[in-house]
Amino acid sequence: MNLRQTLATLPRDARDTLFLLFVIAWVIAPQAGNLPAWASVLAAGLLLWRGWLAWKGRPLPGRWTVAALLVVAVAGTLFTHRTVLGRDAGVTLIVMLLALKTLELRARRDAMVVFFLGFFTMLSNFFFSQSLSTAAAMLVALLGLLTALVNAHMPVGRPPLAQSFRLAGRMALLGAPIMAALFMLFPRMAPLWGMPSDTMAGRSGLSGTMKVGSIAELVLDDSVALRVKFEGPANAAPRQSAMYYRGPVLSGFDGREWRSEALDNPWAVRALPANLQVQGPALRYEVTLEPHKRPWLIVLEAMPEVPELPNMRAYMTPDLQWLTSRPITDVVRYRAVSYPDFRHGPQAPIKHLQALTSLPAGFNPRTLELAAQMRADPALAGAGPQAFVDAALRRLRTGGYTYTLEPGVYGEHTADEFWFDRKQGFCEHIASAFVVLMRALDVPARIVTGYQGGDLNPVDGYWTVRQSDAHAWAEVWMEGRGWVRVDPTGAVSPGRVGAFQRLQAPQGALATAMGTVSPNLARQLRAVWEAVNNGWNQWVLNYTQSRQLDLLKSLGFESPSWQDLTTVLGFLIIAAALGGGAWTLWERSQHDPWLRLLARARQRLARAGLALPDTLPPRAMAREVQARFGGPSAPIADWLLRLERLRYAPQPDTELTALKREFATLPWPAP
Amino acid sequence: MPFSPLAPVRRRFQHWWQARLPLSDTLALTQRNVYILPTGAGWMLALTLLVLLVASINYQLNLGYLLTFLLAGSAVIGMHICHANLRGLTLHLKAPEPHFMGTSTAFEIQLSSERKAPRYGIALSVHGTGKAPHHWAWTDVPAQGQSGVQVAFRPERRGLHRVPTLTAETRFPLGTFRVWTYWRPAAQVLVYPAPETPAPPLPPGEPRAGGTGSAPSQGIGEFDGVRAYRRGDPLKLVVWKKAAKTLATGTDDLVSRDAQQAQRHELWLDLARAALPDHEARVSRLTAWVLQADRLGLDYGLRLPGVEIAPDAGAAHRRNCLEALALC
Repeated sequence: MNLRQTLATLPRDARDTLFLLFVIAWVIAPQAGNLPAWASVLAAGLLLWRGWLAWKGRPLPGRWTVAALLVVAVAGTLFTHRTVLGRDAGVTLIVMLLALKTLELRARRDAMVVFFLGFFTMLSNFFFSQSLSTAAAMLVALLGLLTALVNAHMPVGRPPLAQSFRLAGRMALLGAPIMAALFMLFPRMAPLWGMPSDTMAGRSGLSGTMKVGSIAELVLDDSVALRVKFEGPANAAPRQSAMYYRGPVLSGFDGREWRSEALDNPWAVRALPANLQVQGPALRYEVTLEPHKRPWLIVLEAMPEVPELPNMRAYMTPDLQWLTSRPITDVVRYRAVSYPDFRHGPQAPIKHLQALTSLPAGFNPRTLELAAQMRADPALAGAGPQAFVDAALRRLRTGGYTYTLEPGVYGEHTADEFWFDRKQGFCEHIASAFVVLMRALDVPARIVTGYQGGDLNPVDGYWTVRQSDAHAWAEVWMEGRGWVRVDPTGAVSPGRVGAFQRLQAPQGALATAMGTVSPNLARQLRAVWEAVNNGWNQWVLNYTQSRQLDLLKSLGFESPSWQDLTTVLGFLIIAAALGGGAWTLWERSQHDPWLRLLARARQRLARAGLALPDTLPPRAMAREVQARFGGPSAPIADWLLRLERLRYAPQPDTELTALKREFATLPWPAP
Repeated sequence: MPFSPLAPVRRRFQHWWQARLPLSDTLALTQRNVYILPTGAGWMLALTLLVLLVASINYQLNLGYLLTFLLAGSAVIGMHICHANLRGLTLHLKAPEPHFMGTSTAFEIQLSSERKAPRYGIALSVHGTGKAPHHWAWTDVPAQGQSGVQVAFRPERRGLHRVPTLTAETRFPLGTFRVWTYWRPAAQVLVYPAPETPAPPLPPGEPRAGGTGSAPSQGIGEFDGVRAYRRGDPLKLVVWKKAAKTLATGTDDLVSRDAQQAQRHELWLDLARAALPDHEARVSRLTAWVLQADRLGLDYGLRLPGVEIAPDAGAAHRRNCLEALALC
């Protein structure tokens, strides 16, 4: 007997249980990567065990076994997360509870608990990913859970699951308009209370600090950091090599780690004026920023005006970072105007610039020595900071320095190691070593982190900037020019800045195979997929309060507020209720058309003075009509008889529509 | 059960409520007589939705909002489906057969639906008083079709009763709402007294009044009548043809030929002569005797206070006697 036949002959209980277990596995599976390994293994084991028990028709384990497993799960959660509260611990715990509860499927109540836990688990998937594929997977899961729920309420016989599935699908389909209305109009509010701190744990990408030399091997993260759409003609976008997206500026250095002073100590940087002056043509564009859980925006250099943001404020620090009032925990979209041609920083030396030439004592002695040599070099003496910059860049270009993603772990004197020993690294090593050298030369310098480049998706015209485009470069202060961008990585590896050639992250087997067979197809598929995903971001994930208010504006509200949202929502509910009531009335009046026609005739006769009881058949009515009105009413009597024949004769000689048409032409007696 | 001060009020309310229901053997379920309320599971789902919503707000998950609202929308549609599952159904009670008290029997109810979609998971039961558990009988009703269901019933008193209040409910499809209706059928059900078990042997016959009846049967010869087998009857007196029938039906009442008694005596089952102190017990014994006499194919008469049914045999006679016993 093959599997299909066995499944078809399973007892109903076993079949339902197996189906439910399958759905639960589907709900949990996307979490596997985010759960601790023991939890994934335990959940899989429990589900398989339960499935085996159902398949073999064995009894369920006793209460003590389940209780013991529960203790193990809670202890494991405590051990892994050090707490049972908070998001990550909560997710682990809820998955464990769901898997354990399947061992206790005895009464209807247990089944309901499993369903509701299943809904929670579905939501917890969204903590980790809100992508289109996650949404599709969870839609399937929701339909699966609804199917199982419907099936559980069909107690008679062994109804096929397809029947329950159709009904579940119908419910979801009819529920979709309700979902759409609520989604569009339910007021978006700020979090009701502070979230557990674990959501702030950094993701890949920019972090606001940079610990130089601690990463032995950088794996490029291909996930999207932001998407940019330039307004105007297709060629409105700047050259790729000129796209510097500014993030945190790091100016504090302790020998190993660069820190952003604007984030650490917002008051300290106040002393240096931003003094931003822009000129030339403006670039207008729209940024869709993926959540990075940090309180800053990413914009093209340089944006002078504050963008409009939902639920938060943004402000520019003197070092041209754009900080927000709260972390970006959701996809955010904003319109921005940047000017590629800009100057900033003080034009004349001021006292506070001194802080940006300081270096911690006891680090990088050989770099300091190099600086002393350069200062003593007659070719450079008195030539000013630009000469020092050129000299350093020349050294990077010609000194045998290489760009690599696998530089190994650096020791204590990171700049020394880069300049003299290893001579290889990626942007953070290069930028850090460069800035250290500049500071040693008494040139104010700092590190700017952000993204550089990005690729254009030809399908929808969006530029995609990935985490792998994260970059660090330097800014050097020169008298009369302010802060000047210097990208030392460009001197080492021209490919990194501006060209497509870059070091790629190792790919999975499938991607490698596809790339080998048809690199072009793979690129196109990826472009289409990202365009779809971007549409999803734009229309679903980025549906925020400002867009809600835009919607109200398009509905004619002058200055909409969230109270107006509730008004519209209430109005919709009332309209739906009224519609439902009207439909009920209409349904009640939807009697047999034949009976309605007969009732019309009865009413017409009643107006003429012949009141007949409702119970009288047409034939008797015809007789009454003849008796009352005599000869002239013969057509009416004939009409009534034909009406009767239509209903009762084996082969009616007329049609309802014909009788309806004739109704008006009959010689009804005047009242 | 703990005493609840509200219990009498609730009972009175239920009584008043039930008395308002129209009596009818056919009940068409419409908006007016179908009720709906959330179940415990429904409240649990509401709580789930609330928690999902708060999680969506706190973590700013737009996809969480979508999930919450889709689930809520499905639940709302589920509520309508649940209500429509019962609404529009027509319940019809088939005239109930008389029952013996103490036995568990069933009413047969026909459910018919004109809808183009089937109706699932409809449960019917006698509406218990107080907290008595319902014994639900489940059925599905096919699209534009009918289905029959038997509702278990255990009568508590003999006599002619109205069929108890019935209730139909459904929780299909999500179990979050309970839709139900109450139905008071107009039909009456006759409950016969419970037969006594084990019953003593039938009483001896009484001499025929006037002694005239014996003459015509004189000439028929040796076979005159039958009576219940008594210990010691010779085997050749047993009516084996009848024995085969009675043995097949599971009882082992044997019948012996009775050459004399039938002519001289007739069997009268008299309430006054059933040797028991309690009226109900005597009724019960007489019922057992009626059944026994009927099984044996004897002629028997019934004498109750104010009622006398002349000796006869057959199904109609048996029914008359049982009815008289039920109502006495």
